[in-house]
Amino acid sequence: MSDASVGVQRTVAPEVALPSPGRWIRDNLFSSITNSVQTVVFTVILLGLLRWALGLVFAEDTDWTAVATNMRLLFTYNYPTAQYGRIWVATGTVLAAVGASCGAWNINPGMTVRRLSVSGTGTGAFLLVIGVITPASTPSSIRTWIVIIGTALVLISLTALRIVDKPHRRSVSFASLLVTFGVAVVAFLWLFPFGNYGFTQGAVYAEPGLVAESTRVPWTVLMAIVVSAFFLGRETVRRLGEAGGLIRRSLTVFWVVGPLFLVFLVLRDPAFDMGYVLRVDIPIAAGFVLAGAVLISLLGQPARAELARIVGAVLAAGAVFNWMAGFMGWYPMLQKVRISFALLALLVLLLPTLAGERAARLRLMGLWAVAMVIFHWLITGMNTPSTLEIAAPPFLGGFVLTVTIAYYVMLASFPVGVLLALARTSKLPIFRVLATGYIEVIRGVPLITVLFFFSIMLPLFLPRGMGISDLAAVFAGYAVFSAAYMAENIRGGLQSVRHGQFEAADALGLTTVQRTGLIVLPQALRVSIPNLVGQAIATFKETSLIAIVGGFDLLRIANATIPNQPDFLGQKRPGLLFISLIYFVFAYSMSRASQNLETRLGSARA
Amino acid sequence: MLPPHRTGSRFVVHFLSLIFGGSLRVSGSFDAVATDLAVAAHARPPIWRNSTILKWSIQVVVLFVVLGVIWFLADQARSNLSARGIPVGYGWLDDPANIQLGEGIQTVDSPERRLTMSRALWVGMVNTLRIAVVGIIFSTVIGVLVGVARLSQNWIARKVAAMYVESLRNIPVLVQIILWLAILGSLSSLTLDSGPIPGWLYVSQKGISLPRVFLADGFYQFMALMGFFGVGIWLLRRRLRRRQDLLGGNQRVGLRLSAVTVVALTVAWFVNPVMAFMGPIMRGIETAWGSVPEQAVQILVAVAAITGAGWWIRGFLLSHRSPAGMTKLIDDDYFKMVFAGLVAALMVLVITVIWPGMASWMINSGSDFWGLLGDKFGDGRGARPLDAMRPTLTEGRFVNFGPSGLTMTVFYASLFFGLVFYTSAFIAEIVRGGILAVPKGQSEAAAALGLSRAQTLRKVVLPQAFRVVMPPLGNQYLNITKNTSLGIAVGFSDIVQVGQTVYNKNAQTLAVFSIYMLFFLGCSLVISSIVNFINRKLAIVER
Repeated sequence: MSDASVGVQRTVAPEVALPSPGRWIRDNLFSSITNSVQTVVFTVILLGLLRWALGLVFAEDTDWTAVATNMRLLFTYNYPTAQYGRIWVATGTVLAAVGASCGAWNINPGMTVRRLSVSGTGTGAFLLVIGVITPASTPSSIRTWIVIIGTALVLISLTALRIVDKPHRRSVSFASLLVTFGVAVVAFLWLFPFGNYGFTQGAVYAEPGLVAESTRVPWTVLMAIVVSAFFLGRETVRRLGEAGGLIRRSLTVFWVVGPLFLVFLVLRDPAFDMGYVLRVDIPIAAGFVLAGAVLISLLGQPARAELARIVGAVLAAGAVFNWMAGFMGWYPMLQKVRISFALLALLVLLLPTLAGERAARLRLMGLWAVAMVIFHWLITGMNTPSTLEIAAPPFLGGFVLTVTIAYYVMLASFPVGVLLALARTSKLPIFRVLATGYIEVIRGVPLITVLFFFSIMLPLFLPRGMGISDLAAVFAGYAVFSAAYMAENIRGGLQSVRHGQFEAADALGLTTVQRTGLIVLPQALRVSIPNLVGQAIATFKETSLIAIVGGFDLLRIANATIPNQPDFLGQKRPGLLFISLIYFVFAYSMSRASQNLETRLGSARA
Repeated sequence: MLPPHRTGSRFVVHFLSLIFGGSLRVSGSFDAVATDLAVAAHARPPIWRNSTILKWSIQVVVLFVVLGVIWFLADQARSNLSARGIPVGYGWLDDPANIQLGEGIQTVDSPERRLTMSRALWVGMVNTLRIAVVGIIFSTVIGVLVGVARLSQNWIARKVAAMYVESLRNIPVLVQIILWLAILGSLSSLTLDSGPIPGWLYVSQKGISLPRVFLADGFYQFMALMGFFGVGIWLLRRRLRRRQDLLGGNQRVGLRLSAVTVVALTVAWFVNPVMAFMGPIMRGIETAWGSVPEQAVQILVAVAAITGAGWWIRGFLLSHRSPAGMTKLIDDDYFKMVFAGLVAALMVLVITVIWPGMASWMINSGSDFWGLLGDKFGDGRGARPLDAMRPTLTEGRFVNFGPSGLTMTVFYASLFFGLVFYTSAFIAEIVRGGILAVPKGQSEAAAALGLSRAQTLRKVVLPQAFRVVMPPLGNQYLNITKNTSLGIAVGFSDIVQVGQTVYNKNAQTLAVFSIYMLFFLGCSLVISSIVNFINRKLAIVER
């Protein structure tokens, strides 16, 4: 091994033709004695590890029915079957947004036919090896399928390499990849004998044959939705030209609030009491919309920036007082009114920066109205009892919980992280000390203690009469934890912004807020994108810790719920292996995407 | 397109700019110049437009808000706790624990050695450190091997290493740990003739057991003797080096030194009982230490804190001196000096008012330490410094501690495997990145000098790679230490798990969490100072 790493292997330039197999083997596997020894040693290691892993997967005491039967449990936990349509609607919306976003931003994976074929051949060959060495306990039908798929992959890839002229030049578009993926999924669902598993009156039934109709049909529709949303998004943006930005902007807004909508309004299905909503909720929202509109029209003119700042400061002080009163219990007030008031103060504080002519003010008013309506709708929905009839209380569980928590932890910790990073690099010493202390303390302790702290201690810290749900407490703890890491990642970006940028901004006469928001942060955030993606992956993986503090996420279900079912007593291994695969697929594809992004950002900067 | 610059009152501009991150990274001199200009233009601004005053007032306001929130929360917690009849403080540390720990240096209460709450937590800490240290060593070794293999010329080696890294780092470590527990738990049960090598190596659902080398009675005498020899060897090394420099050629410094070291080790191995005289000395130190009056320690610590702060401020001022005289100090610099003073004052306050028991605690633990060390030096007993033993089976289970083989319980093993393999995947990536960061010209130059590939790797590439690798490697070491807390998921008695058992018993959640925090922050501090030390050693010496 000692001589291995000196000559660094860079990726081969794409113009080089593929060598003949014999030549390639000689160059890469048997070029010298040490190389040959390495080939033998690593082949033995590889085969041994593979055989061991396959032995785990296909051991006689591993009952994969446990996973097949509990698919719904793993993905959506206890969501009632009668209302399962909501799950499909939510999934469909998210997938449509995914497709539309890919189309609207015109995603291009930069994949060539040759790269695709080479990796296809590799995967096929790997499957063939697995088919050969898999232990005798493997069901023969599975072995046959592995061999068939492997052979098909190898043949298709090799043919593609032969047929296509100049394969290293011919790139594969995202559209064709997506369509192939959709068709493959649909074909598998309608052709592949997964078997039909489920519970009827508590007893497991397992029929050979295709997947249940209730799985097959929705997924076929979903695949159609993704593909058509992609083309719709791409074509709309292309047709609209300049106005296509609107589509992108509304998609961005969807990615911020859409998932909350889906979770709390679609999945949770609040039972609104329309009388109360009309009497109380709508007037409150309307009041804030009106107040914001009035303030914008009065103070949103550039000439009145000074007044706006003073009014904003007064309002902010009022908001702080209002919150204090809430904690002290001086006077009752709906939480959402307190939050809205704080948002109003923030709006006025930002007015001098956002101010503009009449049209800009009108646009700002519209935005404010939309934000207020969305916000009040969401908050009211969250605080209204749900119509779901669930045996066990949390309506969020399984994969849905994992994804939701990971997504919103990232989203919530982002602004906090930015503020912390700015404070830590600031020249104001007390801010710096506070931010540094916070970041270092949080980074010094393990996530699990933070989660325990929040799930156990948060109720203790709150005033009597104020409560917080378990999941919300865990979420808050996770966001607090994640913000510290976010701050460090963004700080790295901030430090990469050159000094001249600051000086140029000052020379232009920008205020500190403008300099930070318009000059420094955009550059800093761009640099920190790869790190932020890395953190997103880590956040996604570490949601598994929620299992320890009481949430029913993938891990808890695979490790505790399924093995406690009378039919699958003690069957931990299949569930754990299956969720490992889920985590792997998502984390791996995210990391690949981030590598692509990094190359593209790098080349864009160069 | 930038919005046109709008002039507003300086008051609110500053006020706002302070809220939103302040004047980020503008150099002190720049700001100072700006202030000077302002002063020149307006002679003396009124108080509400004086940027220094504004800056500080907003900071103080924020500080008070933060402190107020903390105070408020603490007050809430206290009133909530007293409403439930839970005392606040650390008095419970001496209570009997009444718990049985899964594993560790002490698992049950016994008349000779009481298992108090503090003792139980201590056992948990030792367990955490045990797995962290061993895990760091193993994950580094595996990680470096895999990282080097990822850059091998051999296609299969590269692919196997890449598969290792990608599959392990993309699956959550907690899932891996639990999967390991599920795998190990489904192994066969333990009997005398089970295991891959009966009598030597057992792998079963009870755990993994193998022969081990442990410290015997003579170890401390041996180490003390080796300390003396070590000084001699170091002096010899210096002399030999000098000779080498003087004479040139190959004076076989390494060979001679290793020969001498082997001789010293052999001698120390057999004659270590001569060091038994250290026992009484240590006990003398114990008595002397124990008789130090409390006030003396308090005064000593106070003086040390104040002197330290004074030295720091002096050094700070000196660093601001240039041949042209003192550079202008800005408010930030004053803050730093005041902060140093505040830290010193806090230390003085702690040792005298807040926790006066700290002095006696320091005295007691110091004398305990010397007493413990004194016990290790017997009267000529235990000639052997090290001993080895095969695993022994008692009543169908392993003896976990004591003179026996090395045993990993399944809980330890699953946590260990999970952590080591997961972390080694990250370390492999770090090592790979480090090697790639060494410019290709370096290995080409080494080849041109006629170094072999192995020499190039060992003497040119790896030393430079390590410079790049060290900081992220330190991060991984911190991660592995923090991730030991996942032992709670498999029932390994680490600090977090023991702490949880403790607060489930006596509801002292806040106190236990403060112990967690101190412990992990201490670990972070130790690891990062070691990494920083190595970093400084590795840093390129520049003129």
